[in-house]
Amino acid sequence: MASITGSFTSLSCSLMPNQAVNRVSKLGSVSLSISGKSFPSLRVQPARFHASCAAKPETVDKVCKIVRKQLALPDESKVAGHSNFASLGADSLDTVEIVMGLEEEFSISVEEESAQNIATVQDAADLIEKLIENKGA
Amino acid sequence: MKFQCLGKQLFNSSANLPRIQLPSPMEAHLWYIIPSEVQSQSLLNQYAEILSPCEKEIVFEMRDEELRKRALLARALVRTTIARYQINSHVSPRSLKFIKNVHGKPEVDWQHCEQWRPLPLHFNISHTSSLIACGVTVDSPIGIDVEKKNRRLKHNVMSFAQRYFSKHEVQVLSAISDPQLQQQEFIKLWTLKEAYVKALGRGFSDAPFKTFTIRIRSANKGSFAGNSNFEASEIVVDSFDDSMDLTSDWKFVLMDLAGSHYAAICTKKDSSIQGIQITPTKLTVWKTIPFVHDECVSGTAAVVIISG
Repeated sequence: MASITGSFTSLSCSLMPNQAVNRVSKLGSVSLSISGKSFPSLRVQPARFHASCAAKPETVDKVCKIVRKQLALPDESKVAGHSNFASLGADSLDTVEIVMGLEEEFSISVEEESAQNIATVQDAADLIEKLIENKGA
Repeated sequence: MKFQCLGKQLFNSSANLPRIQLPSPMEAHLWYIIPSEVQSQSLLNQYAEILSPCEKEIVFEMRDEELRKRALLARALVRTTIARYQINSHVSPRSLKFIKNVHGKPEVDWQHCEQWRPLPLHFNISHTSSLIACGVTVDSPIGIDVEKKNRRLKHNVMSFAQRYFSKHEVQVLSAISDPQLQQQEFIKLWTLKEAYVKALGRGFSDAPFKTFTIRIRSANKGSFAGNSNFEASEIVVDSFDDSMDLTSDWKFVLMDLAGSHYAAICTKKDSSIQGIQITPTKLTVWKTIPFVHDECVSGTAAVVIISG
């Protein structure tokens, strides 16, 4: 049985019956799978930031805004904390520009090691707050 | 399972993929597809049928139709390309299994591909909204990158270069007064740097862009050239931290592809060839719509070697 979200309409496909089983670990597997899908140079990895230090909603919103602008997304397109850059259509050059936009907006400096771990809007927001906190310390 | 007709059923096997010899160790193959040329829904369905369940899930979770199509074509291109090199066999591209190396670079998992004869091939893909490419080599790591020639950054080119490129590259770019030419040279440099890091296969943070310089230089005059009109020009990479990798080990090809894109390919030199003399990479390029049409475009206007 296809348990795919209703968002796909134009591509019909006969899916294997056992596909539904993958849904259980969806969140974890999505970030892992996407990291292998396109292998952008700014490689995405599973998020290393835990919910206990999740960023403020305002920070997430600012990140969403920067991502929207960079990818020229229409207003109605959904961008939220869990949005994955690659799934939004960001290639490696976009991702680097997004990081640059974040540095400018928040007056921080992102090292390549950290930039590499940014896969979602939430990852970016969490990293930003960590860097701001370290700056103040 | 949907089978519209017996003829379509054959598409799912690799019978409709003409077999081809692997490139020799000094060669590279490049296969590319133009997404806008694939409009047939039934063809897209056939591509979907050769994907793994995991790949299908990723593809179909994308909300945007164009992105979904692009992701689907990229996976179909990789699978069909590799299947072509399996001579004397009709194994389906669907049965290929992939694994990621410790840094996340995808490779074929030959151990788990039943019925496939292991091949010493390496591959790498790159995609833009209007072109998806897959490079193949034998016995050498490969990294490729393609970008639209007229891609505009959201940032100012020089601000971006100052933040991410090396000092020498910034100098080369800032010496170009025409903004359009500067933009083009920037894109060329970007694709070369991307291709290099992808060939290294160790992730972006292992070779931050600032820590290495790509130079396009004339082999004739032995001087540095900002542009690359010289037939025998050569692309080299210098690293500030040479312990990371022997940068003299890598060679590049930069080309104008399909009139619309720059494409860079980075491969490792044959270590048995010593000295300064560079053996140019023999490159064969195909434009493809898998299962439908392949066209060898090397030597045509679709492939203009800029350097390397």
